[in-house]
Amino acid sequence: MERRKMFIRMITASLLRRRSRMFVALLAIAVGATILSGLTMIYYDVPRQMGEQFRNYGANMIFVASAESEGLNTENVEEALSCISDSQKRGVAPYRYETVTVNEQPVIVAGTDIEGAKKTSPYWLVTGEWPSEKGEILIGKKTAELLSVEIDDTIQMTYSAQALENPDQPAETDRSENEDAINMEFTVKGILDTGGNEESYIFMSLEDANELTNGESKIDVVELSLSATQDELNEYVDLISKKVPDITPRLVKRVTQSETTVLTKLQSLVFLVTIVVLLLMMICVATTMMAVVTERRKEVGLRKALGASNKSIILEFIGEGVLLGAVGGLLGSILGFIFAQAISMNVFNSTITFRVLLVPVTIIASMAVVAAACIIPVRSATDVDPAIVLKGE
Amino acid sequence: MFLRMVRGALFRQKGKMLMIAFTILLGSSLATAMLNVMFDVGDKVNKELKAYGANITVVPKENSVIDDIYQVEGDDEDNIKSAYLKEEELGKIKTIFWAFNIVDFTPFIDSTVSVDGEDVTIVGSWFNHHLSLPTGEELDTGITSLRAWWEITDGKWLDEQKQEDGAMVGTLLAEKLNIKAGDKITVSGKAGKKELTVTGIFDCGADEDEQIYTSLDNAQYLSGTDGLLSSIEVSALTTPDNELARRAAKDPGQLSIADYETWYCTAYVSSICYQIQEVITGSVASPVRQVADSEGAIMEKTELLMILITVLSLVGSALGISNLVTASVMERSNELGLLKAIGAKDGAISILVLTEIMITAIVGGVAGYFVGYGFAQVIGNTVFGSATEMKLMVIPIVSVLIVCVTLIGSIPAIKTLLRMKPAEVLHGR
Repeated sequence: MERRKMFIRMITASLLRRRSRMFVALLAIAVGATILSGLTMIYYDVPRQMGEQFRNYGANMIFVASAESEGLNTENVEEALSCISDSQKRGVAPYRYETVTVNEQPVIVAGTDIEGAKKTSPYWLVTGEWPSEKGEILIGKKTAELLSVEIDDTIQMTYSAQALENPDQPAETDRSENEDAINMEFTVKGILDTGGNEESYIFMSLEDANELTNGESKIDVVELSLSATQDELNEYVDLISKKVPDITPRLVKRVTQSETTVLTKLQSLVFLVTIVVLLLMMICVATTMMAVVTERRKEVGLRKALGASNKSIILEFIGEGVLLGAVGGLLGSILGFIFAQAISMNVFNSTITFRVLLVPVTIIASMAVVAAACIIPVRSATDVDPAIVLKGE
Repeated sequence: MFLRMVRGALFRQKGKMLMIAFTILLGSSLATAMLNVMFDVGDKVNKELKAYGANITVVPKENSVIDDIYQVEGDDEDNIKSAYLKEEELGKIKTIFWAFNIVDFTPFIDSTVSVDGEDVTIVGSWFNHHLSLPTGEELDTGITSLRAWWEITDGKWLDEQKQEDGAMVGTLLAEKLNIKAGDKITVSGKAGKKELTVTGIFDCGADEDEQIYTSLDNAQYLSGTDGLLSSIEVSALTTPDNELARRAAKDPGQLSIADYETWYCTAYVSSICYQIQEVITGSVASPVRQVADSEGAIMEKTELLMILITVLSLVGSALGISNLVTASVMERSNELGLLKAIGAKDGAISILVLTEIMITAIVGGVAGYFVGYGFAQVIGNTVFGSATEMKLMVIPIVSVLIVCVTLIGSIPAIKTLLRMKPAEVLHGR
């Protein structure tokens, strides 16, 4: 009992009496521990945060009707969507395509959920505004040029089931005599620039498209942007094709394949960087500790001369080191979290998940490094004859 | 005498000085490695993102939409020609201002042919085309790299250098016509007929699954469009768009002269497009937003992430070094006290200590630079499979950092020691 009391008293007294030097050592340990916990936290969060950025490439899964089914409809799409966890859905946009005529020219109209399309295709560049109300449309750049329409112009679209069956002579069909023909007026709200096929379409809300086609509702394809790894996506494909036989889910290979390739590289980059930084920082902490301990050779010599055993001296130094390591490690885990949070907020505008397990890991790692760093110089001091040590060199 | 004292200190206290040099070496190698990787990460990630395919498409100005919709068949020669790009002008893409940023470019020609009585779109392109440019550059390009996401379900990629009459068939079409790898198919186009050997079946989850891909020459022969192209896909390394680039993309003519020059001489996707249009007659080059936009976003994030990690590790190594320097100066309190006791001036003592430490720092710093450079190479080779470029800018940054950190670490410690009375110091507080 007495021994332990004395031990603790010696450690704390030595730490307190040599305040300035101990502060230097503590600072070194805290910096090392900060980097350890901060970088590890970032490393674990990179795939999630970066994956989010890759959603900018747009939909990574589409639903199409299976060959033997009657097609997609609201019910079976809802059913398929319920298989996917809500937290992973970044955007869902159903599409239906119809050919209509504007000034006797055939144009493809896509009915969709505008809000959903905004999320599944974040790269769409819209000049003007996104349509938000009934009767408003978004027109592709090429079609806009072809029809020479501008923002806020009004265009009239004609849908006729008959004209479609006979696409070669649309002009010969007299609209006034065609009872099936539906005419509707739309206001151009925005012009769409994508550099892809979308530029030759006209986009409108699904309700408008259904009205234009005489209230008949159908869905041709559903685009989904899911924040999930390729394995998870494959699991969803299997699950949905089993549960909802009317729907065939397909992965957009271009997006999923490339994402896996690039993301793996990015993660291994952060991993290697973390390893290099940690390795160097650990050695840095160790050398600082060694410098602080080497300075106390005289003290070791004096204690030896007074009759202390090597073991008790080494134990005491390690005790001091472990205590410093624990305090520095704790400080470092807190600072590391603050650093990781700051980085995450700056880079990804989102918070980082605090990993509780990292706190004990950081503390134990700091204690181990510090203890190991203490042993070498203390050993060399205890091995030497106290008289020589006390004399200096 | 001064030199002798410095030399004496350096050699007599070899162990301690080596430890300081070693710590500085670690710090400087960390700084060098991180800075090199940071400056290079943009280019490297950009190259990786090329997996998503081309970010610029070049099409003839005569809009193909008009062509499709009115079904204008070429009545006279001029009309046909204006709807195509010229193959002979392809090489000019590599002569634009940002030629070095053009990583890949591949021409395409498509037409409708019939196979077993079925109308099918055939696309002619390069697969693994080897280019020797007039600039002396060698380039391997083609859809083997531009369509890296294609999954070959049967057979293998077409090697156009070995097999002249090869073709690849999309999986949906292959199913429909019951084609397997190794089969021969007879394709008849507007201008000719040819027998092609199917080398592979691909699955890409898009429209291409219903098409046939073959070499450029074959497709041109079939449709009678020798020397003509319907589109070119260009893969370029670009700088993420900013406000200027967005303004310029609308109409470069509206910019002031200074703005125009900044824009033209920056690798924005819009300025590269503009420069391509300048060299290819009758063309419209437009960015593929899906790729160009996303690339910008991801690169920006990665670069920012690396910058912040670099700053974190620079701060770490700076604190590490200054810490050790402080510790090692304090350790020498006895020596400094003795010097003062025998009458040395404060200035002389400071200069002596600083010189010793600076020499150690320079040795450690230089060695650290090379070690750090090695680390950067290891990272570059392991992650991206290519060497990290050596950036000269890193040398001054690291040198300034090391010098500052060493001074900051040693000066306060020397000051504290000098402020004490020699008797106190020698007594050991």
